[in-house]
Amino acid sequence: MYIGLSLSDPHPDTASDGNKIRTLSATRFAGRYRLVDFMLSNMVNSKINTIGMILNSHFQSLISHIGMGKEWDLARKTGGVTFFPPYLADERQSVNSENDGPLQRAVEYIMGASEEYIVLVDSSIVYNMDYRTAIEAHRKSGADVTAIYTKKRITPNMRENAVIFDITEDGRVFGVNRAPYSSDKLNISLGAYIMRKGYFIQLTSGEKNCGMLRFSRVLLSQALSRLNVLAYEYEGYCALISSVETFYQCNMEMLDIRNRNALFDYEKRRIFTSLRDSLPTKYGINAQVNNAMIADGCQIEGTVINSIICRNVRIKEGAVVKNSILQDDTIIEKTAMLDSVVTDRGVIISEHRSLMGDVSYPVYVDRYRII
Amino acid sequence: MNIVVQKKEWIAALLAGGRGSRLESLTEQIAKPAVTFGGKYRLIDFALTNCVRSGIDTVGVMTQYQPLLLHDYIGKGQHWDLDTLSGGVSILPPHSKLGSTAWYSGTANSVYQNQDFIESYDPDYLLVLAGDHVYKMDFSIMLDYHKEVGADCTIAVIEVPLEDASRFGIMNTDETNRIITFEEKPEIPQNNLASMGIYIFNWHVLSEFLYEDEKDLESSHDFGKDIIPTMLREGQNMFAYRFDGYWEDVGTVDSLWRANMDLLKDMHLGLESWHILSRTAGRPPQYIAPTGSIKNSLLTEGSEIYGYVENSIISAGVIIEEGAVVKDSVIMENTRVCKNAVVNYSILDEYTVVTEGAFAGMPLDSEDAKLTVYARGTVISNSEFETQNA
Repeated sequence: MYIGLSLSDPHPDTASDGNKIRTLSATRFAGRYRLVDFMLSNMVNSKINTIGMILNSHFQSLISHIGMGKEWDLARKTGGVTFFPPYLADERQSVNSENDGPLQRAVEYIMGASEEYIVLVDSSIVYNMDYRTAIEAHRKSGADVTAIYTKKRITPNMRENAVIFDITEDGRVFGVNRAPYSSDKLNISLGAYIMRKGYFIQLTSGEKNCGMLRFSRVLLSQALSRLNVLAYEYEGYCALISSVETFYQCNMEMLDIRNRNALFDYEKRRIFTSLRDSLPTKYGINAQVNNAMIADGCQIEGTVINSIICRNVRIKEGAVVKNSILQDDTIIEKTAMLDSVVTDRGVIISEHRSLMGDVSYPVYVDRYRII
Repeated sequence: MNIVVQKKEWIAALLAGGRGSRLESLTEQIAKPAVTFGGKYRLIDFALTNCVRSGIDTVGVMTQYQPLLLHDYIGKGQHWDLDTLSGGVSILPPHSKLGSTAWYSGTANSVYQNQDFIESYDPDYLLVLAGDHVYKMDFSIMLDYHKEVGADCTIAVIEVPLEDASRFGIMNTDETNRIITFEEKPEIPQNNLASMGIYIFNWHVLSEFLYEDEKDLESSHDFGKDIIPTMLREGQNMFAYRFDGYWEDVGTVDSLWRANMDLLKDMHLGLESWHILSRTAGRPPQYIAPTGSIKNSLLTEGSEIYGYVENSIISAGVIIEEGAVVKDSVIMENTRVCKNAVVNYSILDEYTVVTEGAFAGMPLDSEDAKLTVYARGTVISNSEFETQNA
């Protein structure tokens, strides 16, 4: 009886060029995942099997990652994933005509579905939640909209994309704001809303395509005076990624077992992702590994400290990798040294080279670069 | 009269019904093809991947002994891209028909009992293979060879050490690789050319022999013991196809351990280029803690290492706690080695727990070192270890 719909935001200006060529929700997380895996897994784990995804620019890697949705058990006769990409409606206009866009297509799609309610989510916020408890609260409360949020301290580099709710004592949202400079715990929106389909159509009328930021900060914010919006608190781990710094910071949080256990509840709510059947990772005789999360398909012959290593990475003898995130297919040749570096996929660091950033400002190496 | 669903040039019959009793406790609850291998595989992955990589899209899997986990694992074949519209993977357990109800009495009988399945694809050739060998092989090259020499039956062969030859079906061939004699597990082998248990038959020829074999009350209805010798006696064109890659029939716990360790020697047996498909659990990546250390080992998703691991194969979801030492061992899924426990030269089956400070196995370099195998779900504590060794 619930249909899922996801909105995505384009990369903010702070993202590196390398990240901009794919949509934010296709960004990698914790060695083997993409941000979108969490949203899709949350839906599936909440028994929501009909999901529409409104896409933004550079969605190709996202679509090839999700495919038919087989790994999320979404390749089925009823339901499944439907994409709404931006498109050229009229050759005189660049993308999307005046009154026709992916959002209007998605509205037609949800109108045609038999489900009465929608669960509207951001496709790139990382958390692990069963929406059914929030749905239950929504139905009991009689609210028009239920907004899911979490209480969390944020770092200055997360401010730009954070949406903060003002919440009354009895749990109503009365304001939507940007994050103040504050070290207190804030009520941060998870970009997840439950409402009747009709409210969504009302709120988005006249929009061609809208990201979650616009939905929260403008459309919902303007409607607060006439809608009863209930705040529902999520108490687990969450990651808000929007830039190289936040990408680095949140990935590194996965080295802490408390965060990992909070996010990956393998027995109850598994996080699904596309599977590549990579070989197990081989550690050589001289491998030295200390506090590292390492995906399958790697060959580790050198030293790895405080790092996240994605699939099919090779670290050769004598190489030292510290405080770094190496994405798929990266090769670190003999005796190369990396500290506080993020490599995109397919990067090669040649012998004897060294690269050093800082944990507060990691060096980003674009994909397929050879250093 | 059979109804042909769709004509296929060749299909595969995968024999997965046996227990593999020499794998001891590892096959008490599961069939041999379902035994875990190399951290993230089960033995049947190799045969299924080889079929798919060779362009076979129809595989019948004959199951009989403890099939529950095997059936569940194979599913609809989706993990090997065998969930196709036509063909794909079909699980073929023994079944009752009008007038008869029978278990599979032998490998040949299991194919005989599934003639209807095979006939529905009207194949020219039938590939028969086992579900419990570790190798990578392109069967399409073998099929080309089979057609080129005009064989009725082609048997894949590999040279084995002469002292091991009595474990295998051994054949003598002439210079054109035509098979002259075939002896199943000979006491005094004349040769070291061993059958790999992989056959390509012209289906219409095989089906005649299966029919005749069924009427023979003396027969054990086995390919190696009965069908192949009979075909040879009756002058069929039979050829050996030589294979020189890695192949291991993991028939015993020692060979299973050795084949696992071979993955450490030769980097992945060159498996990178072949890409073995399997059904993986989809857990978070492995984690090695500041207290952990790992040398010359294979690790896979969901494992967490807080202790010391050397020369070992660690499967999904395995936890090695702080101060624990694991050496020269194969640790299967969801096993936990608790604080300060020591594991040497062992195979620990799934869901085993080595309790805090306990010892399992004996060091590989000790006198009379013998591989120790712990059955699924065993809880190993020191007291138990002592009674076992008393």
